[in-house]
Amino acid sequence: MGPNTKDNGEAVNTPGALRSVPAGKGGGHDHDILAGCRVGDRSAWRALFDRYSPIVHRFLATFGVPPEEREDACQEVFVAVYRSLTHFRGDARLSTWIYRIAARYASRAARRRRVRTMLSSLLLREPLPPPAPDASERSERLRMLDELVAKLSPKKKLVLVLFEIEGLPIEEVAQIAECPENTAWSRLHYARAELMAMARKRLKAKAPATGRKVRS
Amino acid sequence: MSNRAWPDGDDPVATELRQALDEAQHRVPDDVTVRRGWAAFGSRPTTGRRAARLSWFAGGMASTAGLALACAALLWPRHVQTPVQGPVAAQAPTEARRLTLEGGVEAELQHTSVMRIEGSDARVEGGAVRFKVPHRRPGHPFVVRADRYRVVVLGTRFGVAVASDRRVDVDVDEGVVEVWSADVRLAHLEPGQRWNSAVSSEAETTAGPAGKAAEAQEAQTEAPELPAAAPAEKLVPSPGLKFGRPETRRRQSARGAARVAMVATPARSTVESPGAARAALVAGDAPRALEIYRNLALKTGPVAENAAYEIGRILNERGQSSAAVAAWRRYRSDYPSGILRVEADVSIIETLARAGETDDALTEATDFLRRRPDSERRGEIARVAGDLYRARGDCRHAVGAYQVALSASRARDVTEAAGFYRAACLVRDGGNSGVDALRSYLRSYPDGRFKRQATELIEQATSKTAAH
Repeated sequence: MGPNTKDNGEAVNTPGALRSVPAGKGGGHDHDILAGCRVGDRSAWRALFDRYSPIVHRFLATFGVPPEEREDACQEVFVAVYRSLTHFRGDARLSTWIYRIAARYASRAARRRRVRTMLSSLLLREPLPPPAPDASERSERLRMLDELVAKLSPKKKLVLVLFEIEGLPIEEVAQIAECPENTAWSRLHYARAELMAMARKRLKAKAPATGRKVRS
Repeated sequence: MSNRAWPDGDDPVATELRQALDEAQHRVPDDVTVRRGWAAFGSRPTTGRRAARLSWFAGGMASTAGLALACAALLWPRHVQTPVQGPVAAQAPTEARRLTLEGGVEAELQHTSVMRIEGSDARVEGGAVRFKVPHRRPGHPFVVRADRYRVVVLGTRFGVAVASDRRVDVDVDEGVVEVWSADVRLAHLEPGQRWNSAVSSEAETTAGPAGKAAEAQEAQTEAPELPAAAPAEKLVPSPGLKFGRPETRRRQSARGAARVAMVATPARSTVESPGAARAALVAGDAPRALEIYRNLALKTGPVAENAAYEIGRILNERGQSSAAVAAWRRYRSDYPSGILRVEADVSIIETLARAGETDDALTEATDFLRRRPDSERRGEIARVAGDLYRARGDCRHAVGAYQVALSASRARDVTEAAGFYRAACLVRDGGNSGVDALRSYLRSYPDGRFKRQATELIEQATSKTAAH
């Protein structure tokens, strides 16, 4: 059994291999930054923002926050970080804590969007026009991935995004998802299976048009 | 090459999914977005615990008000119609007709007017239409097309009319509106101002630089139609006006396609983007990146601002420090309150200091410390100022600058260096306080970078005192 396999032989990503995920900039260790932030050092806040805002931005994007709301959502997450930093005990890694805040915010935002859509359909009696596509997301593949991930249940979506896209180790994913590690593995397994099935179905439907063969 | 273990296999679905996941990993915002985010976050008013408690009460009140409004909206007779997406012609009947477009834009068509909805924007094909545009995010303006012109707005009230001879009139009630033709900004209108075009001719399809100059001239000829109170110079092409390259066949066809597609904003309509400049830099083609940034800097908005700053950075990296400083100074004069203003100041000071322009660097640094008492970069700059004073042998001012650095920053590299050099300057001045300061430095940083020098200085000072 290699480093890329789970106990049951299932293939997993090596967290170390995914450390190449482009993260934000900003020098210094997290504990130095935290100490600076706690005493109100603006340069420390700047370092924190530079390091984690691209990560939060990416996480929100993959979690389904639409482009026009993403910048505001990122702001909200950092305001929440600012307000709660005094309560951060340091039991978990700073990134874990920020991911948890971002995940809560993204879930709340998704709920709000659902309510808003429902209300607008009730009040206006016609659906809101879809948002204009973001020029930065022209990739067909990314659009497909976003659509497929959006169909997963929130719990599976969270685990899949954190593990497969953010490249976090499963223990950190479990901490963020607030569940035991085995549950995180289980959710990941089902999320992967669902994602694969949906991708297969979608590409199969497109195959006649593009002339590509897709194995079922 | 992907290094992920899932999805494994060589079948197209797994490959496609692997590539999609890899692309998603690299979906990070550009520098402009991050800087804009910091500018908004850094200037955000902070609320305390009391405000957080009050927010529950405020939330309850807001919910009640929202519910009341929702009920009112449900019962209120609806007149506003929202057109569907796509190229749909809206032919107004005999009386004015109101429409709500995407993003809450309200359009009021005068009788017999024709407007097409193109994506999130609109095209006035005939008659007169008045628009009310809620404030838009920077970089996402609302665009109204009229004949060959684009009216670009960020949130305002204005009207666009197209006469039967294709003469286009634009007038502004509130906010600021810009009129563009291809890549050329023809007018910048403020409340109360009016712009109109001459009769459009078919010559536009062959418009090269000369044609665009003619268009700009055309706009100039309209100046007499301004209201008496309005400044006429607002209607002449701005100093930053760019006469674009001759229009290629591809761009002409793209413009035709825009009839049914979302109209790109001026910043996005060119192939030259910040992403292309970054790609050129990664590929080692700095001259190309510089060229792209120079062209972007001629435009408006955050992308242009970022480009103006990046020009200096690239020049500096290529060893052209004086050109870099000139570029950053140009940025400062163009964007005196820009998001990157502090970055530009700091870059200028550091570059001048590195280039040995001590006097200039000191002037800039002291000016920065005087103007920006709350900047998070204050500590760094005070430390640079201290180093510069020390290099000139002015220990008294150096001690003052290091003192500022120590009080303004908590970053270890700044405080450690400032603490040591301040103590060294005090020793050089000959006072007893220098030795105390060095001992204090050694207590604070027992394994610090300057431990050896500090120990030597203490020994020298004590032996000198003993000799006396």
